[in-house]
Formats: sequence, C-alpha cells, structure tokens
Amino acid sequence: MSKGGFSRPTGSFVREPAKRIFAAELRESRLQFRDGDDEKSPSFILLPTGERCNRIFICGEVTQKEKRGDQNTFYTARLRDPSGIFFLNAGSYQQEAMQQMAKINQGDFAAVVGKPGIRETPDGSIFVTVRVETITTVDRDTYLTWTNDTATQTLDRLESFGSTDDSKKASEFYNTSIEHYRRIVYESLVAADI
Amino acid sequence: MDIDPQMTERISLLFKEKGVLIENDKIESKLKLLTTDFGIAPEEAEKMVTNELLREHGLNGPSQQSYSSSSQQKIPISGASPGDWVTVEGKIVSLSSPQSEAIAQSGILSDESGAIRFIVWAKSNAPTLEERKWYRFESATVDEYRGAPSMKIHSGTTVSPVDEEKTFMPSPVQISELKPGVSTVRAKVVQDWEPRHERMFQSGLLGDESGTIRFVTWKEDSNVRLEAGKVYNIYYTGVDEFQGRLSLNLTGAMILEDEGAVIEVASGNMKISGAFVHMGGGTGLIKRCKVEGCNRALSRQNYCPVHEIQNDFRYDLRITGVVDDGQKASNVLIQREEAEKLTGITLDSAIEMAENNPLGFDDVTMKMQETLIGRYVECQGSDIDGTLLVKGCSPLSYDSSRHAELINRASVSPEGGVQE
Repeated sequence: MSKGGFSRPTGSFVREPAKRIFAAELRESRLQFRDGDDEKSPSFILLPTGERCNRIFICGEVTQKEKRGDQNTFYTARLRDPSGIFFLNAGSYQQEAMQQMAKINQGDFAAVVGKPGIRETPDGSIFVTVRVETITTVDRDTYLTWTNDTATQTLDRLESFGSTDDSKKASEFYNTSIEHYRRIVYESLVAADI
Repeated sequence: MDIDPQMTERISLLFKEKGVLIENDKIESKLKLLTTDFGIAPEEAEKMVTNELLREHGLNGPSQQSYSSSSQQKIPISGASPGDWVTVEGKIVSLSSPQSEAIAQSGILSDESGAIRFIVWAKSNAPTLEERKWYRFESATVDEYRGAPSMKIHSGTTVSPVDEEKTFMPSPVQISELKPGVSTVRAKVVQDWEPRHERMFQSGLLGDESGTIRFVTWKEDSNVRLEAGKVYNIYYTGVDEFQGRLSLNLTGAMILEDEGAVIEVASGNMKISGAFVHMGGGTGLIKRCKVEGCNRALSRQNYCPVHEIQNDFRYDLRITGVVDDGQKASNVLIQREEAEKLTGITLDSAIEMAENNPLGFDDVTMKMQETLIGRYVECQGSDIDGTLLVKGCSPLSYDSSRHAELINRASVSPEGGVQE
C-alpha cells in the first residue's frame, strides 16, 4: 500500500450501476468473471464494447411469456429491443420479480432491471439470460428514451475503447470490431423510430 | 507472505551505490526469514536487513547515519503518514484515558500544521506527558488505526520536553477536504438529531461552505451541547471513517461558539437524471411518531424506536429508491409533496386505500412501484450523507431531437478510432 494513502474499507457497499446495453451486444457477450475470491464477490460480464456489467437496465416489447415448472414455478419471457431479443427469467427465489412478471402481458412494452448471466445448454450452445430483479410495464415514450440512452452509452463506450483496462481486455478477448457495434447502434436508432 | 520485489531492489540499489554487490536472493531470503518466520512488518524488516548488511560490509559508519538521518529530521505533523518513522515536535492538546493496560497514555499532539492521535506504550518507559506542554519525539512510528494515522511512542523513541512555546491557532479545514484523523473545523449545526443510543450525548449534521458531515458526541463529563443554527469552532475533533463515509467524533474536542457568525452551508445542490431502478423498503404510506420533535417512522405495529407504542400518529407519504444513470446508482429520498406529484397518489387517497383494505399499505407501495420503476426521471435536491434529499423531481419525456443527433453521431465512423 502506498504511503499516506487511505484505502477504502473492504466492507463499504456501493450498488452496482445498471449498464445500458442492446440485445445484439449482450447476445455476443461470452466472458463472465468474479471480481475477487470471496464467495460473495460480485460476478461481472465483460461486454464486447469494453465495460464490465453486473446489472443491466433494458427495455423492449414482451414477445413471449411462459410460466414453467410444477413445484418450482418460474417465468421465462422474451423482450425485443430494436436490435434483437433478451431472454428473461424469474424464479421462485425472486418472489417479487415473479409477481411482477405475472402481471406483464405479451405485447406490452416493459422495462427490466436484472442480472445478466452466461449459460450453456446441454447441447453445448451458449446463450445469455437476464435474471429479472424488477419488471414493469412502461409506455412507448420510455422505450424510445431508453433507446436514446442506450445508444449514447454504447457510443461512449466505443469512443473510449482502447483507453481503459477493461476495454483492452475486451479487445483481446473479443477482437471487437468498433464498426460492427457502431452499426448496431445506428440500426437500432433507425428501427426504434418506425 | 511474498516479498515485495521493490523492497529487494531498493536494498540492492542502496548497496550498489556504495559499491557493494549483494545478490537479490540473499536479500530476499533474509527478508523472508524476518517477515514469514518472525512475523515482522515488511517495512521494519527492510530496515533491519539494511542495517544488518551495512554492518556486515563495514558500512555502518557515516552511511548508517545518512540512512537514519531522515528520521531525525523534524517534520510537520501533517506530513506524518502511516509507515513512517518520524521526529516531530508539538503540543499535547488533549489526553484521554487509555483503553488498554499496554498503553500508558493516549491523546492528541498538535503543531501549526496539524494534529495526530498518539499512543505511548506502557513498555516504552517514556516520561509522563502533560497536557498543554511541548515535547520532541524522536523516532516515533506512525501506523494506521481505523483508517487514520496514529503515532506510537515505543521504547526506541526519545521523548524530551521542549521549552520554547509557540502559540498557534489551528486553522480550520473545509468539510469536503477532511481526511480520517484529527482536524479542526468551523461549521454550522444544520440538524440536531435525537440520540439513537443511550451512550450517545448528541448527534446531527454539521455544514460549512464546502459540504456537510455527520457528527456524534459520546457521553462523558465535559460534554458541550451544540445548538442548531449556530456556528462553532471545533478544535481537534476526531474524523472517523466507516464504510467509506466520514463522520466527526466531537467527544473531547474543544468547542467554542463563534457568536453571531453566519455560514452559508453548501446545499450540495445536485441534479441527477436516470432510470428509477429500485424502490426501497420505506416507500409508501407511513405513520410517524407525533411526540414533539420526534417524527420518526413507526413500524406497522405503531412502534417508535424511542417512544414505544404510539397509537396516536400522523400519516405521511415518501419514496426511497435508486436513480441510476448507467454509471452511478444514487440513493434518493422523495418527500410527500414530490411523491404525490410524481405518482399521482395523494396522501388522502393513500390513507383511504390503507383504511378500507387490509392490504392497503402494500397496495399504495405497489402502485408507486408500477408508476415509477423503469421510468426516466430527473431529480434535484441536496446531497445529505450519500442520499439525495429530493426537492424537485419530474419524469423525463422522449426527446426526438436528441434521437436525430444520435443518428448523426452513430452514422459517422470515429476518425482515427480503433477501427479494424
């Protein structure tokens, strides 16, 4: 430790911000890691555009909702944003999220705060799901505002790409094409306005 | 425990300058022996290994002196940092009763530059220090205790009284500049809170032009009660850090009222905008204790943490939650008036829901969740101890010109970017 520097106590709690991300980028995320050795250390996904996220805030249209399981019921749903589909789930460990999920209807616009996770299916394919913390029905205005917000933050990430530690790691791992993600942003903005 | 390679390198360099080559392996094994087998602190081990090697190579004459001379040079107290060996001169501005038998004395030492807490170990055989007298401490060590520097007087420390007395006034530090340790502040009492603990004498919020900070005074014989709205000069208050937040511990501090003084306390006026991502437990219709000056939130069973069961209460509405801009999640507290505007639920309608329906309280909270979570809002208010006390809050609506700007921004590839 450097002389005279005051280290933060390890117990201090700071809520992880919810990153804004389009479905097309989340779908391509593959690297999940823990920050620290502790069992309770937060788990992060490194986004191809070069930031880590533990929590995300997403918006879209609910295209499919299903209640599954007999004893351990859980919900799965699909949320479509202008770039693609998010796969949502809410299990019995998140009573509140499940109840909120029950109220959501197919065709609604919904806003979701949740934790992303990378899963492997039995047949070996990998996909990214979002464990819902809260889901609420919102209006189209909120959805469009979210699209602007997500476009802004994605472009911000692309513009600082290469200058932060996380983005250097992302570049190494994903070999990120800036152009590819810039196009996703552009197409999402155009698609959202229709 | 691994040896810091920089440490080995430092020692090796020191000897290289003197024309002696020592293998890094040798240095490292010596360091390892001291730190791992004897549990000696790495900095201390570095000194010991250096001295040992100096002796071994017959270099302990003048060079030894040059090595240790740094610790005999008097430094200002404000310059003492954890890990240092220091020589300081200062005045004992307060003595407190030691908390352990291993400690002979403890207190605060100050010079014009600042102040530091100190401890005299019982085994140090140091002379008994007297309050308001000046002393010189040679080769004392500084370490860190609860995030603040603390000076230790041990058996290797030379303590001598200093005759020349200097008078100085400690200069106040701005609240936003405070660091853990001992400081002097000039501040106004912004809020006076009811003590939450029987050992607590007073607690509240102090503020100056730069910001606000919590304070607490624990009960002892010489307590001074601060009055809300008045300005005080507070000399040698403890600055504690807990969970990354600072607070002042005024117990034992010298407190003088600055009569008639006016301080414009920084309101910490802040504006945040983002998505409302989370609603806290205290959200919705609540009952408050009606005892004069209390106003605490009661539990569902009408229990006030101080005044016990209060069946005569008054209703209130509030929202606690988190507004998140994607980079930072901020706690917000929204009081009745703004909560009504934001959710469209008035206090009266909430009371009606609560009194006519067994699940009324939950219904109010749920309605608030449904109207607010996931929406974009802009809040402005003052930052009190990490929570934004919201004075105004409004929903953000869709900005189509922003959308057009973004399409432009996204359609040009960044020049000179990292494009592949």
